[in-house]
Amino acid sequence: MSLVVAAENLSKHYGKIVAVEGLSLKVKEGSIMGLIGPNGAGKTTTIKMILGLMKPDEGHVEVFGHNPWDNPDIHLQIGVVYEKPFFPTNEKVLDYLERVCRVFGVNETRASEVLKLVNLQEAYDRTLKALSAGMLQKFAIAHAIIHEPKFVIADEITSNLDPKARGSLLDLILQLHEDQKVSFLLSSHILPELSRVCDSVVIINKGKVHATGNLAELYEKFAAKTIRVSTDKPDELAKAAKSLHYVEEVDTDSQGILVKISKEGNDTIYEDISRLAREIKAKILGIETESASLEELYRLVTDSGGQ
Amino acid sequence: MGKGKPFLEILASALHGDYKFPIPEFLAFLFLLSSFVFASFGGFASQGIPEEYFVFFMTNSLMGLPLFILVMLLLKNIASGIGNDLEKGTIQTILAYPLKRRSILTAKLLSAFGVAILLFLGAQISALFILAPDMVVPNLSVVLLTYAANMSSALFIASITLLMTLLLRKGSLAVLIGIMFFFLFGILTSLVSFIARAMDSLLPMQLYSVYSPSFAIRFYYSSLQGMVHVFWAPSFSEALMYIGAGYSITAFIFILSYFYFCRRLNV
Repeated sequence: MSLVVAAENLSKHYGKIVAVEGLSLKVKEGSIMGLIGPNGAGKTTTIKMILGLMKPDEGHVEVFGHNPWDNPDIHLQIGVVYEKPFFPTNEKVLDYLERVCRVFGVNETRASEVLKLVNLQEAYDRTLKALSAGMLQKFAIAHAIIHEPKFVIADEITSNLDPKARGSLLDLILQLHEDQKVSFLLSSHILPELSRVCDSVVIINKGKVHATGNLAELYEKFAAKTIRVSTDKPDELAKAAKSLHYVEEVDTDSQGILVKISKEGNDTIYEDISRLAREIKAKILGIETESASLEELYRLVTDSGGQ
Repeated sequence: MGKGKPFLEILASALHGDYKFPIPEFLAFLFLLSSFVFASFGGFASQGIPEEYFVFFMTNSLMGLPLFILVMLLLKNIASGIGNDLEKGTIQTILAYPLKRRSILTAKLLSAFGVAILLFLGAQISALFILAPDMVVPNLSVVLLTYAANMSSALFIASITLLMTLLLRKGSLAVLIGIMFFFLFGILTSLVSFIARAMDSLLPMQLYSVYSPSFAIRFYYSSLQGMVHVFWAPSFSEALMYIGAGYSITAFIFILSYFYFCRRLNV
């Protein structure tokens, strides 16, 4: 699978402040990658370097095989949604989008199409300065996909949207991904949203990559698992489970026990629980795994410093 | 998907921002009004003064206030067009279009400078041909030289403001610096002769003429008339040299601005 973005060892400093340090990431064609990090982690700087708005102090970045700084033609294949939408405020919604159609050489009817797609058809005649923050965000999304890009970069894409609009937007992302094979790089600190759409993530903090990979691998690698064991002797099994060195926490409820384990126990937990149950003559009625949330994964990765 | 005409669209967008109704109409009126109202003939024709000097004087008087309006308009366009884009972040949207940075800056500058200069020259040419058609045609070289000399300082101020806008990313502050430069050099115009006499050296006048070649041109034509003693009598080629030097420095500052915008500007 070819790469949409290949960034190697990117560094960017603002005076003495290190924004990004030795950051490498790859976005594969057809993937939806999440760029996760707290405010000030270096997400926006990374995105700006990928877009060719900033020159890295060190390292290099290629988008569709070209250096974005010197090759503006790559923007024919890229759509961008900035955290704060920047548009000429005196222009009217439809007029401006029609202008953007002409910039990209697409039919002007596409302007109305994308406005309908983001549910902004009622604002055709308004000036951009008359739009609310949420409407402006929707407009920014329409602006980003107007030329049917192969790759969309979005910085905090859902920040100004209400929950319903957020849901619709995530549906739209999945639809574009499935129907048109659009690749995405989505930066956000609202993790549940990313976990709904992303197949891989890059976790960054203080300008450095702490972990990267697909979500399943990262859960496997970093996240503590919670195992739910249904049994006829929950109290005895809970007591026995506490003897395992990788067990962090054990709770009981009416259906059985909840065993939270560290990653060292990933390979042996089922075997060990079965053995303990045999020893105390308990009957195991069922075992299932509950994965950690993306927030928890993020916390674990940043706490551990990544690997 | 074919590539559109991004350059023309960015130019159109910049024009839309720089010259919203009724700005161009009002400016055209202002240029015309000030050209006619402040035109002065000074009665030279009847005093047997060389025609070249008369044409120079008339052209100069025609463009006094309009040139000031032109400079202010250029500074306003730089601040509102390029400065605002940098300050508010609109430049990020524009830079995400399939267009080279130098083309973006060219489109912005064409909008900021092109229409303003065309309006200015249009009003000036009309005024010249209406007020003194018999003088203008035979002395076209004098008229062109006078315009070239006077426009040099206007473009110099504009180029400095452009560079400052890019470096500071604050259009309003850059314009303030531009206006300060404009008035500072204006004050120098009246002081530089005095300083030169006090120093008994032509150097201050020569240096000032690089910024404002019209200063040297005025002395050149004054020396031609031979009626009054002039402190400095530059030759025609020397006067031309100051125009060349003025434009070279302005061009250098523009090139520097392009280089910074295209190779260094992180947004």
